[in-house]
Amino acid sequence: MQTPDFKGTHLFDRLCWAKKHLEPVQSDYRAVFEDSVDECAKILVPDPNWMACALQGGILPPVWVYHELAKDEAQPDFKKHTRGYLLHETEPMPAMTEEEAIEYLIMKDIPQSVWQNWDEGNRPKMVICKKEQLPATRTWRNAWRISDELNLAA
Amino acid sequence: MAGTIVADTLTHSTAGSIATNYVVEGSAKAWVQLNGSTFAIAGSFNVSSADDNGTGDYDINYTNSMNTNTYAVPAGCNGDGSGYNRAISINAVATGSHDIITFITDTANIKSDLDIISTAIHGDLA
Repeated sequence: MQTPDFKGTHLFDRLCWAKKHLEPVQSDYRAVFEDSVDECAKILVPDPNWMACALQGGILPPVWVYHELAKDEAQPDFKKHTRGYLLHETEPMPAMTEEEAIEYLIMKDIPQSVWQNWDEGNRPKMVICKKEQLPATRTWRNAWRISDELNLAA
Repeated sequence: MAGTIVADTLTHSTAGSIATNYVVEGSAKAWVQLNGSTFAIAGSFNVSSADDNGTGDYDINYTNSMNTNTYAVPAGCNGDGSGYNRAISINAVATGSHDIITFITDTANIKSDLDIISTAIHGDLA
């Protein structure tokens, strides 16, 4: 199905269109990351409706738009967004592959402090893996860390 | 514009009228149902991803951010097979995400992964 020309259309309206016309896509990819030495590994799971939008193209804004909004929100005097128009008026992203969509999602939803220098420390702070590579049960979930096996498999 | 109805008021034949801004402003801007035991997203709208932060601790990330961080986050949860009472708490709110915690209340309020975790957001979009 062809995506309508959504440039200038409110992002929420684009998502309504996608919800009605696109089948959700369950991705097997997971991003495992550690953003604190005192906490267990965290796992990012892509939303199936979002993944459908990413693969379809012409719906989602470029990821830099979210970074600009995050900069605004980080200001000490932040009260409300004044540049929300960036979400709606910026040329939407073309269709992505599933791998490109995961990279985009990492840059959108994982802290920059993790993905900007994910492999510069003594051990990696982030790994992209398949769902099957994660433990089958959640036993000792709060002790999970990125393992050498998981790192090698990424 | 084709496919668009512009109206300030909706009127029912017997039940009265309502201003359409109640509909626009009152609609949920995002919603999601998660399974905390398998950490799968069962259904959603305006959600880009969910983070499993550990037992009973989850982030919900939005595709269309909210305008402020003063929006409302109704949430509910059920089911871990323990038979204990369960509860859900909003831990942190930002314009692009919120963090929720689920726990069982009969055992010193320890965090617990629950089978059904539902949450939505109401407020103004960015």
